Amino acid sequence: MTSRTRRILLTLVLGLPLLAAVPWIASPVLVQFGINMLIMATLAQGWNIIGGYTGYSSFGNSVFFGLGAYGVGIAMAQFEQPFWIGLGLGLLLAVVFALAIGLPVLRLKGHYFAIATLGLAEVVTAIVSNVPIAGQNVGLVLPLLKSDVLFYELSLGLLLVATLVVFWLSRSRFGLALIAIRESEEAAAVMGVNATRYKILAFMLSAALTSLAGGVYAYYITFIDPAGAFDISLNVKMIIMAVFGGPGTVLGPVAGALLLSVLSEVLASKVTNIAGLFFGLVIIAAVVLMPRGLADLTQKFRRSGWRYFAQNIRDHRL
Amino acid sequence: MNAPLLTVKNLRAGYGEMQVLYDLSLDVHPAEIVALVGSNGAGKTTLLRALSHLLPWQGDVRFDGHSLQSLSPNRLFALGMVQVPEGRQLFDRMSVEENLLLGTLAGTARDALRRNLERCYGLFPILAKRRKQLAGNMSGGEQQMCAVARALMSGPRLVMIDEMSLGLAPVAVDALLDTLRLVRTQGVTVLLVEQDVHSALHVADRAYVMESGRIVREGPASELADDPEVQRAYLGL
Repeated sequence: MTSRTRRILLTLVLGLPLLAAVPWIASPVLVQFGINMLIMATLAQGWNIIGGYTGYSSFGNSVFFGLGAYGVGIAMAQFEQPFWIGLGLGLLLAVVFALAIGLPVLRLKGHYFAIATLGLAEVVTAIVSNVPIAGQNVGLVLPLLKSDVLFYELSLGLLLVATLVVFWLSRSRFGLALIAIRESEEAAAVMGVNATRYKILAFMLSAALTSLAGGVYAYYITFIDPAGAFDISLNVKMIIMAVFGGPGTVLGPVAGALLLSVLSEVLASKVTNIAGLFFGLVIIAAVVLMPRGLADLTQKFRRSGWRYFAQNIRDHRL
Repeated sequence: MNAPLLTVKNLRAGYGEMQVLYDLSLDVHPAEIVALVGSNGAGKTTLLRALSHLLPWQGDVRFDGHSLQSLSPNRLFALGMVQVPEGRQLFDRMSVEENLLLGTLAGTARDALRRNLERCYGLFPILAKRRKQLAGNMSGGEQQMCAVARALMSGPRLVMIDEMSLGLAPVAVDALLDTLRLVRTQGVTVLLVEQDVHSALHVADRAYVMESGRIVREGPASELADDPEVQRAYLGL
């Protein structure tokens, strides 16, 4: 426990200045890539709370992202309010939505929960497309702020906040309760865990972080429309990155997001036409060979070496 | 005798259309070990499931004077009524210590937590040795000890244990029963729900015999153990 904590803190202390220095030394293209990467990492970390720790594979997180984006969009484009107000509005929308949807939907388990949340993006897209204040189908154009360095540092700060929240979670009784729910909801209930309440709180916390990332992204990209803001493939990416890195760990989802972002970017520039193919192969190989993610790999590889992969193929259980 | 800690009066419960428990009544007094014995399908587990609101039920059930009908499972837990569910329900991929810590989620102070942890390790020294080991990698007996210890972590007043001896080696069962006797001297009341009639009657003060959802016999455990009918039906004598 303590050595794990020390490793996490060490990674933060060493990694943070390194990442923060990027805009001052790297090319503008690289900074733009960095912003996308950091936002993805924040989203993966947000998903980690409900998907990784609580064990509920949410496909509704892209809705929280979209609501965060629309909060900023509506506040800035329609009411000429400052960015921070929009961020707060998006946060409020997402958290209230998570509460309202969580009450019925978090009663479902496994595939049923995944499918129910999968429908949410469709529903919200249809609703937003018809709301005049949200610009209907056309979308909203936000004021332009041409400072990629600022967006980069803002995204990095957000990722830090998300990671600190998950770090706190991993050490708190609240987090322990979530893990209990993931491992066996009935056993958790017998031990006095109010599973419904904890699940909804986890969903709301996940929604809060995800919506903030959506808000920052909307201001950065300066244009949002329903199809782009509530894109379900974004949710799939969050899950892939979190699972690749190690769901239910503090740094796993961040590592997964950073690594996969870089990989996908390199592939896209080297083998443009068949980048998707290679990316897909990497994902399949990762799921087969290291189903518990990078975090588990780094822990166990030293002890069992290459046998680790063979063992995973043999086990084939998560 | 002082007022009962748990009173069950005319409890009826079942699964959907099928009624399993018929007007079942029993009492458990403070610092007693009460055994509820009966063969497979008598409704023992159903009773425990009903008491923790995992099933709908009717009747009058009181824990320390509070009516159970209006109490949520977490409130019950906070009041000191705790279960060791059938099949142990440990968190296999977590360590023994993490499992134990999960036994106290209903808001215990940190120093009390330490104290309870030490108390559980005192009751089950083997768990202290295994504290960092994954619960799923231990033997059945050790897992059952872990499950009982987890239930004791919150400092409960009543522990209800479902099929504690199921699938365990006799030596492990004896160790667990000894611990229950010890726990009782510390003021914890135990309701032991068992198919293993012999060991249950051996350790209990009083016992109820259940058959097809009804209590068919009750009395001091030693009397029931000597009862020819009980002996014939359950002890194979």
